[in-house]
Amino acid sequence: MNSVETQAPGGVIIKTVTGSLTGKLIMLAVFVILAILPFVLPDKFWIRQVNQIMIYALLAMSLDVLLGYTGLLSFMHNAYLGIGAYITGLFLIHVAPESLWLAMAVGAVCTTLIALPVGWVQVRTGGLAFALLTLAFGMMFYTVAWKWYDVTGGDDGLMGLPQPDITLFGLKLASSGDSTAMYMFTLAILVMCFLFTWRVIHSPLGAVLEAIRENEQRAAFVGINVRAYKLIGWMLACGLAGIAGSVYILFRGYTGPGVMGAFEGAGVLMMVLLGGMGTLWGPLIGAAIFIIMKDQLSSFTEDWEIFVGIIVILLVLFLPRGVAGLPDLFRRGKAE
Amino acid sequence: MSQATLLTTKDLSKHFDGVMAVNLVNLEVTDQEVHSIIGPNGAGKTTLINVITGLLAASEGSVTYQGQDITTKPVHERVRLGICRTFQITSIFMGLTVYENVRIAAQSHLGGSLRIMSPRGGLKRVNAKTEQILERVGLTHVAGRQAELLAHGDQRVLEVAISLASEPQVLLLDEPAAGMSPAETDQMSELIAALGTEMAVLLVEHDMEVVMAISQRITVLHQGGVIARGTPEEIASDQQVREAYLGGDDWAVLTA
Ligand SMILES: Nc1ncnc2c1ncn2[C@@H]1O[C@H](COP(=O)(O)OP(=O)(O)O)[C@@H](O)[C@H]1O
Ligand SMILES: [Mg+2]
Repeated sequence: MNSVETQAPGGVIIKTVTGSLTGKLIMLAVFVILAILPFVLPDKFWIRQVNQIMIYALLAMSLDVLLGYTGLLSFMHNAYLGIGAYITGLFLIHVAPESLWLAMAVGAVCTTLIALPVGWVQVRTGGLAFALLTLAFGMMFYTVAWKWYDVTGGDDGLMGLPQPDITLFGLKLASSGDSTAMYMFTLAILVMCFLFTWRVIHSPLGAVLEAIRENEQRAAFVGINVRAYKLIGWMLACGLAGIAGSVYILFRGYTGPGVMGAFEGAGVLMMVLLGGMGTLWGPLIGAAIFIIMKDQLSSFTEDWEIFVGIIVILLVLFLPRGVAGLPDLFRRGKAE
Repeated sequence: MSQATLLTTKDLSKHFDGVMAVNLVNLEVTDQEVHSIIGPNGAGKTTLINVITGLLAASEGSVTYQGQDITTKPVHERVRLGICRTFQITSIFMGLTVYENVRIAAQSHLGGSLRIMSPRGGLKRVNAKTEQILERVGLTHVAGRQAELLAHGDQRVLEVAISLASEPQVLLLDEPAAGMSPAETDQMSELIAALGTEMAVLLVEHDMEVVMAISQRITVLHQGGVIARGTPEEIASDQQVREAYLGGDDWAVLTA
């Protein structure tokens, strides 16, 4: 599907890892391996571990739409995962405990709608001011989740979540309480969201977002309504984060305000940077690296943050384009 | 044969805390004409273009385009109406290929930006327009190259190509030949002269030889204000212009 866009006239072919057939085959292989994994993994701990990685991979990918493609820095993208989680949870508890898909849809739509006025304000600023506003709004949402005890459960979080059945066209497949079923469900959502986002990013809309990232002033001077398209990018990214949130609360059966904290937000940013922004697939790998690193280190030491910090610093210094930049290193090595 | 006035400014001014960068400028931009703005460094030429195109808000006065007051319209709406520009300091999409640079402008003009289910290269009219413009400005052979890797002269040409993709009616060029070799300057001036038969071109240029050769009309700016206007011949013999330029090297060309 990319052959048209990578073949420019004049016989020059621009090869990108993701645009190439190899890249697609690798992605396919990764998803196939992920689908087989729960049946070969030794225990539930690992299934849940990979499940958690997939949820954060979805969140990191959604942040990449902003960071890597639109050139917008969001410090607390996890706030929108949190919003999606709370809304889905509240819907399941108070409205329809059995309607998994409806709860997911409500979560995604409401998250996007909440993101609309926030984005409307944010796109009226640029650069650092935009980034600072994401922080300010994120803190606000965190505080709401933390203090609005009657609705959110405050510090205790949202508990007593029903475990709806995973259905397809009215057919019951499994309970979302079953860890393998939840794993497959998460994988399916991740793959669908990835393919959808991939499609959108490689559409004319993605070209507009990239133009804004490359040169906002020039974008305006080719007739692009920069604010409007930034808002579209913002809402797409927040909607996807909301979906990640729905899956998150189904997976954990609980959510608290902690998931919306600023420290968590920095973690999501690191996932994108570690994996390589502007690729969509890089952040998926970044999420895996970050979560595994965090878990391994925290089993050794209570001060794991220091080591995560050091590793991130080293990676940023020596692999500035993240894991996605690795093939470039090899390619350059070959050419020289 | 009377050509249409496309754009007029009335008492247009731009002040930067006390500095009168543009001061009460009245200008008429006519279709199918190369209209040059000349004046020494700091005369306010770039600021004038910035105010006309909406990059900067006017302090006073108005800009009218085809009978419509556009003084407060945002940049992208002016572009949609047909007012496009290039910058004195090259402003292109450095990370994109030459082809993508022109295509995004064509796409924005012709539509299709919200077709999220089609591939980027799937908009046929956009592709055709892109290829036609690259052919016209002579960049087809580097279409697949990243803009950042182009020679300076080609980057300047690319910026004109990007502007053309919006099918402008008024094209404002801010020193398009800056930093170009003599051969490249010749090609650029040929291109501008040709564009001047199709649309209104408002040209800011330091190279007096180019200005004298391809302009139908010249306005001289000095310290933000218009001190002379007329045909190239009239300007060349104007005493006030001579004084404004006194000591400048450009004058030798004007009188040569
Ligand atoms: N953004 C700005 N802020 C303050 N002063 C400016 C700004 N832009 C231009 N000026 C001033 O306005 C005057 C005209 O500048 P400019 O329009 O760039 O002249 P020109 O393009 O004719 O060389 C100069 O004195 C310049 O210093
Ligand atoms: Mg200037």
